[in-house]
Amino acid sequence: MNLPSPRVVPDPPAVAAADALATLLLPVTPLTPQCSVAEAGERFLEAANAKLLSLPVVDGGRVLGCVTRHELMLRVYMQPYGRELHGRRAVTTLMDLRPLSLSIDSSIEAAGQLIGRSLRQPITEDFVVLDTDGHYAGMGVVLDVLRALELRVGQHAQELEAAYRRLKASQHRLVQSEKLATLGQLVAGLAHEINTPLGYVQNNLAMTRDLLPGAAELAGAGAALLDATLDGDAQDWQQRAERLSAARAAFDPSLFGDLSALLDDTLHGVAQIADLVGNLKDFSRVDAAHSEAVDLHGLIDAALRIAGHILKQRNVQVQCRYGELAPLRCAPAQINQVLLNLISNAAQSIDHEQGMIMIRTQMLGGYALVAVQDNGRGIAPDVLPRIFEPFFTTKPVGQGTGLGLSICQQIVQAHGGRIAATSTPNSGTRFVVALPLSTAAAKVPA
Amino acid sequence: MNVDKPCVVLIDDEERILRSLSLLLRSRYDVLATTNPVQVLDWVRSRPVHVVVSDQRMPTINGVDLLRQIRDHSPRSMRLLLTGYADLAAVEAAVNEGEIFRFLEKPWDALKLQDTIADAAQIAQDEFARLTPPVTAVTPAGEPVREIVFAPVLVLDEDPLSVTVVRELLPPGSLVVPASTVETALARIEQQEYGVILAELRHSSDDVIGALKLLKQASPRTLAIACSSLRDGRLLIDLINQGQVFRFLPKPLSRELLRRALQAALERHRELRHEPHRLRRHVVEAPREVSLSSRVLDYLRRIRDQARLRA
Repeated sequence: MNLPSPRVVPDPPAVAAADALATLLLPVTPLTPQCSVAEAGERFLEAANAKLLSLPVVDGGRVLGCVTRHELMLRVYMQPYGRELHGRRAVTTLMDLRPLSLSIDSSIEAAGQLIGRSLRQPITEDFVVLDTDGHYAGMGVVLDVLRALELRVGQHAQELEAAYRRLKASQHRLVQSEKLATLGQLVAGLAHEINTPLGYVQNNLAMTRDLLPGAAELAGAGAALLDATLDGDAQDWQQRAERLSAARAAFDPSLFGDLSALLDDTLHGVAQIADLVGNLKDFSRVDAAHSEAVDLHGLIDAALRIAGHILKQRNVQVQCRYGELAPLRCAPAQINQVLLNLISNAAQSIDHEQGMIMIRTQMLGGYALVAVQDNGRGIAPDVLPRIFEPFFTTKPVGQGTGLGLSICQQIVQAHGGRIAATSTPNSGTRFVVALPLSTAAAKVPA
Repeated sequence: MNVDKPCVVLIDDEERILRSLSLLLRSRYDVLATTNPVQVLDWVRSRPVHVVVSDQRMPTINGVDLLRQIRDHSPRSMRLLLTGYADLAAVEAAVNEGEIFRFLEKPWDALKLQDTIADAAQIAQDEFARLTPPVTAVTPAGEPVREIVFAPVLVLDEDPLSVTVVRELLPPGSLVVPASTVETALARIEQQEYGVILAELRHSSDDVIGALKLLKQASPRTLAIACSSLRDGRLLIDLINQGQVFRFLPKPLSRELLRRALQAALERHRELRHEPHRLRRHVVEAPREVSLSSRVLDYLRRIRDQARLRA
């Protein structure tokens, strides 16, 4: 016998699909065709059969039918004189000739399906389990099957949830990598923008330092000569005049003009670096989750400065036509990301010399509108409907994740706004972002 | 103005950079500075320009393109790139198209910049002092490698495919020798002079990059074509400044690019044999750190001694 013990409820994880029904099998001793109705009634009372709704009638391994507890009660025990009238009759007179039967090698799912199709409400019977030759093997309890199915479904739900979590995490990673790609582009541009002023600032300071001793000597020699003049010491005076003349030969006083120009440039450079760093700070504000009332125009200006290198590289002119805008409650860092994305996309779409980006703002029907229009190559009509799809990109492999605009859309929608694009191939593209001015619609994500 | 001063041309789209550098250099050089690339081309066409220092990112042209045009007009001018951000594409183009002398970064060290420009100016002055201008080899696409006797080519790569490709690209009878380690490569170079070494930068055990840098010092006439799937701008800048690597090819190797690189390198090697003074253009900075065994360093010492004997 390799059948499992009938009373053991199978552990859910141990349930293998192939022999699943076998694990639920109860090796019930069947009734014989000769058995009387009264005897069948007594068999139902046995402790071993307490759980069963029906008992099989088997002759020589062949299942003739099943007698249900329900039928027995209804037709015999609950009828007046039922036991006296029917008790001695053969059990075959009460038997259902077509009981629910299942092969021992069917899966729990298949059993569940068959049960679902054939059982009536309320559940009044269990099912016969046949071995692979079609002979009686034992009984199966409908409730056991349902319980096993429930466990199975629970397991699937867990797997589904794990899969969902994995998907969610990988989406998060992709969004992060898009942010990193934007960041990489930013760093490249910023490094250039900062290193250029840093280059002349450092050089100017090094030169100033090298010029200082000569300047100090000139001043010292001048002062010494003045002292000698005041003292009226002729010999000293002669000596000191020579020193002054040597100092002047080494340090031409016209150099002071150069020094002053150098220092003006240096101050300008330092201010430029401070400005860039300031913008960067605005740009990457960590309080992304916090919604605050900000001036949208300030955000546009900051994004333009950050994108400065891309614009300069492509010699793109920018025109801003700002309308009246009330302060807007939003996550500034996120809106900055959207603006930078739109501006750099616009710049990248331009491959001619007369590049122009026009940025317009206005208030309309409770929304702040920002339109970014370029005169670049435009987007083909078959591509336009797909631009906000995640992973859709027309850039060569490795140059874009295809998430930029999809993230823009996510951010704008999370602010309760909308983003849309219109385009004419070879003439330009226009993106419009509409953000609600009232705070009610905006629920800013973390 | 002192007419004997070497001429240094500066171009950058930031005028303050020009002002700052002009002041730094004007005592020793005749400094011409502009934000206009066309002006630079006018200058190199109309007068001897010893050194050109160009910014990389400019609104109308990038530095590599400008330096390439300058090379065509005035091959004796020494070309330096001064850039605020070394993106990989720019560095690769600087090697392959600009054939630049040095890749400098902003912010720069004033003393080091002056030394570098002094070196470059000295080399250019010597070349301008000679009467015949050198000819630069230009290989049009698709033209087969000409049937001339080429110097031997050494292929340092653990992947045997590279040597096969090189053999296929060169005319029959050319000597192409494989080496799978730095030590065997150097042992071969000690035995005879190689015109070109094609080297994969990535190696399972050896510091190929360090070896290339030292090899340039020991045997400056051997031109290095570096190739790798490893693409790192910083590393390549060092290979320009400290190894004067002649070409950089990304892997997998493009046959056409490799063919052109081999041809250009072999022709340059021939020129260097005939005009040894031009070797000075290949002078390198001392490398910062190299991890090579003492045996390898011994090879390099012997190769250097032999190269001196040959020169």
